[in-house]
Parts: sequence; C-alpha cells; structure tokens
Amino acid sequence: MGAPKLPTQSPGPFPEDPMINSENSFHPERPIQFKKVKNEVRAYVWELPIRIFHWLNALAIMVLMVTGIYIGKPFASASIPEEAYYSNLMGWMRYVHFFAAFIFVANLLFRLYWVAVGNKFATSNPLRWIFWKELFETIKFYLFLKNKKPHFVGHNPLAQLSYWIFIGLGSWIVMLTGFYMYFEPQPESFWAKLFVWVPYVFGGDSYTLRSWHHLTAWGFMLFTLIHVYMAFRDDYLERNGSISSMVTGYKTTTNKSVGEKNND
Amino acid sequence: MKEQKTVYQAAIDRGVSRRDFLKMCTALAATLGLEFTQSDQVVKAMETKSRVPVVWLQFQDCTGCSESFIRSSQPKTESVLLDMISLEYSEVLSAAAGHQVEASMKQVLKDYKGEYVLAVEGSIPDDDAFLSVAGQSAKATFLEMAEDAKAIIAYGSCSSWGGIAAAHPNPTGAKPITNFVKGTPTILVPGCPPIAEVMTGVIAHIITFGKLPELDHLGRPKAFYRHRIHDKCNRRAYFDAGLFVESFDDEGAKQGYCLYKMGCKGPTTYNSCAEMRWNGGVSYPIQSGNPCIGCSEKDFWDNGPLFTRRAKIPGTQTTINPDAVGLATIGLATAGIAVHATGTVIKKKKDDKRGEDHE
Repeated sequence: MGAPKLPTQSPGPFPEDPMINSENSFHPERPIQFKKVKNEVRAYVWELPIRIFHWLNALAIMVLMVTGIYIGKPFASASIPEEAYYSNLMGWMRYVHFFAAFIFVANLLFRLYWVAVGNKFATSNPLRWIFWKELFETIKFYLFLKNKKPHFVGHNPLAQLSYWIFIGLGSWIVMLTGFYMYFEPQPESFWAKLFVWVPYVFGGDSYTLRSWHHLTAWGFMLFTLIHVYMAFRDDYLERNGSISSMVTGYKTTTNKSVGEKNND
Repeated sequence: MKEQKTVYQAAIDRGVSRRDFLKMCTALAATLGLEFTQSDQVVKAMETKSRVPVVWLQFQDCTGCSESFIRSSQPKTESVLLDMISLEYSEVLSAAAGHQVEASMKQVLKDYKGEYVLAVEGSIPDDDAFLSVAGQSAKATFLEMAEDAKAIIAYGSCSSWGGIAAAHPNPTGAKPITNFVKGTPTILVPGCPPIAEVMTGVIAHIITFGKLPELDHLGRPKAFYRHRIHDKCNRRAYFDAGLFVESFDDEGAKQGYCLYKMGCKGPTTYNSCAEMRWNGGVSYPIQSGNPCIGCSEKDFWDNGPLFTRRAKIPGTQTTINPDAVGLATIGLATAGIAVHATGTVIKKKKDDKRGEDHE
C-alpha cells in the first residue's frame, strides 16, 4: 500500500510569500506529495488505507444504523406467526449489528495507527492557536461573511473539528456503551470486567447507556448528512475533485499550496 | 448480651419437627443458590446460631416492602419471623405500640450492640421537617441505629435509590440510605417491592454465614441481581424470532409474544423475577402479559412512560422518542442545507460574474 513514487516538496521554509496556515506548518517532515497533470497540480491527499478506512467506515455505519434502529424499535415482525421456532429476525439483526460493530472497531483502531505513520492529512492537532484562528475564519466563510480563510489542501479546521467530535468522541461513545451492553449478559466474564467502569463515565444505569448509544447514533446520521453536503459543496466551489478524491486519493490544488512557484 | 435461643431450638419449641426443620434448611440452601452438598452447612448454622435481632425502620415508603416480605413462601415468613430473627421493632408487625415499641428499639442498642441487623424501607428526606417518627427525625433515627448495626439491609427501591419520593421534582429532597451510611456494611435489595424470597433469602444468608452475601458493583446481592430479566425471560424466544406484541389486545398478546414494543424494561432491569417469580413461584409480570416496568432500577420513575420505549437525554430527567427526534433533526438539517446550498450557488454566480467583469 505504499504511496506512488512522486516528486515531493522539500521540507523546510517555504519559498517566497510563505502562505502560512495551520496545514503547511504542520508536520513539515511529512511533505505533500503531488504530481502535475497539464497545468494542474494534483496533491496526493488520501492514501489508500485512508480511502479503505473511509468506505469501510461508511458502510459499517450504515449497516449499524439500520440494524440498530431495528433493535431499538423493531419496524418489522417475523413473517411466520405463532411459533418462535421458525424465525430469528431480531437474532439476525443483532448478529449483523455486532458483526458490523467489530468491523467498525477494528477499522477505527487501524485508523488510529495510521495517524502515526500516514501523511500529514492523516492527522490533526487542535492544540494550536492557529487552528482556532483559522477555524473562526472558516466558520465565517461558511456563513458567507468576509473572511481570511486560507486555502487548504486537506481538511479545513472546521472539518477537522467535526471529525474530532463525531469520529473521535462519537465513535468512542458508541463503542464503549456498545461493548458494555454486549457483555451485559455475562457480568462475570473477563470482557465484561474490562467495561465495568463505563456506567460511571456516562453517569447511569443500563437504560442511560442505551440512551447514549441511541442518541449518538443519530449524531452520526447528522454528521454524515452535513459531511456529504460539504464535500459536494467544496467540489462545486473549488472544482478540486473533492468527491472523486475519496476514490483516487488526488485533489487538484494550487501550485502555491505544495510549495511550487506560482506560474499562473 | 442477652442469651438467645438458637434458631433450631426456637423452631423445636414452636413444635416444628426435626424432619421439617431439615426440609426447611434444604429449601433455604436452594433459595440461597447453594449446592445440595452445602445444605448441611445451613443446618449447622441454624443449630448453633441464635436468632438475629432485627430492627425494621420505615421512612418515606408505602409499606409495600413489608407487605411483600410477609408473603415469602420459601423460607416461610413465619419461620423467618419466629425462628430465624427476633424482630425487635417494626411499625407493621410489632405487637407493642407507642412508647413501648420506641423503648424496645432503644433497648436493642443496649443489648445487641454490633449484633443486630438494621432493615430499612423507604428513603430519607434531606429536610427533617418532612418526616419525624416519635419526635425524632428520620435522619437522626437512622444515624443512631445504623452506627452499631452488624449490617444494614436496604429493602426496596426507595431505600436503595430514593424511589418514588426522589422522582422528579423530589419535593422532600429524598435520598437513598447509602447517602447517610458511614462504614456499616450495607446491602441493597431494590425492587418495588423486592421479591419476598429475595428479602428473606438475604436475611437467611446473613444468619447462615454471619456476613453479607457477595455483592455486585452497586451493592446488590449477586445471587439475585446478577442477570437482567431479559436474559432469563420466558418470552425471550419471541424476541429473538422478531415476534412482538403491538397492542395489548392483539393476536400477539394472546399468543404470548415478546412485550419489547410495549415498553418492556426487561433488557435494562437487573432482578430475578424471571427465575424466582412471584407469589411462591406462580408467575411474574411478563409471564402474565404485562411489560416489565423496571422497578428495581435506579430512577425508574423518571425513565419515561412505563409502556413506551424511549431514550433519556443524558443528565436530565427528560425522555424522548429518539428516532422521531433523530429524524426531525435530519429533516431540519436537510432544510438548512437546502438554504445554504442555494446561498452558495447565488454567491458563486455573483463571484464568477465579478471575476469576468474584472478580466
């Protein structure tokens, strides 16, 4: 899964008019890889493992949501009445939910590992003043206000923050409450003991934990909706191939953003 | 300390035969979840240990726990009351009244310091004005009796979690007794009311082994609160099959389908109703066609309507239909996106035009 061999921008200070933003001052030891196609610069933003993570995550979330809604409020009944013996509808829904959940978890753990070894777009650090300054500018940009939002090759700070909240925090809420519920029938088991502390964090009983799980799942839906809209919007405004980039990995960008001389 | 008859002696004096005594001990061992081979341990304990003095205090309660207690079938309530324990004070069962019975409570403090078991029913109000018995506030009485008790048993959801008195908006400032316990071993036996055999079983365990049974992380006896009702439910097969009662008078209700969609709280309720059952093992709510209302869980009064599945907004006492609210949120967000997208297109057209003008 190695990245394609491409010329890279040399690390170090940026040439003339260094457009300092939180992105190009971030992880200079992980330079942006890019290629030139005709007059365009195409930056290699999403590495293959990231793209696999993205689509696997999306698929898992959709499967988890549909089966999860069924588990919370069964919207269909088994077609064969009277005897329980012939059907296993809820059983299957739960099985698929658990299966997808394990994929979701393994996938996310892999993604966390990729933060360490991936390119600069695979990570984010909100503990910097510039991050919040640019976040504020980005919010103004989305509110159609006059702003000084710089150009970002990868995610802008608002997008990064949304991943911190939903993929970061949200995933941990559903995973921890989910595993607690999963092991609830075997409270004496090793695995259940690993998660006994979960109710203390989420302040409550089994019912409150379910509520956390259910409401956070809807948070994921809200995120997905806005995330997809923002991706299309970005593509529409910048013509940068935001949408296809999650398949190809490449986003069209400016010369400047990869440290090349601007020869427009 | 006053000399006390052993449990065995008390039973024999009451006219119970040795054979019946052994039968009682064997049944008791089964209730406690002991192996058959351990039943002679129970016999030995009953032969050598004297009756345990018990003080039963009632605070903000409905006496429902006492009512449940006197319906125990295994061990029988009378054998608990007459053989195993010596009930020194109880507002429901004491023959004495007024000053006499209050005096007998004070006498326990003198005669059985560190030996008696304190059973508590009902929550304790934060504000003393809401509950005083015999001129003494509930809190003062509890603190006085709790300090020198060998163990405290919190009977029912009120003394364990606060119960109905602590439900929103909690006008009396009701608190579970655990808020006031200082160092005395305490066991929670929640339920509204708890199962009679669980109530007597806990006492029998304390007599037999001289200590509290094994407790879970919330202080409940593991033997009775280890599993959720859902895990042991007699209708569980219908849950897994996907066969649900949709309304209380439909065909599914007649067939005995799963009551999940009727708001059954079995999946979030830790209790042994499904194994022990009620009224001597006759039935329990779900078996009788009523969804579990989760009465042994903390704050169950505030967990939304009893017969509807909902979700609680964490940190509040508000419950919502999560899917309706979720869909509404998505709908609102979609409308917002439509507006924002329109704005985006207009702005882009304007900017493009300006760009062209400049060229």
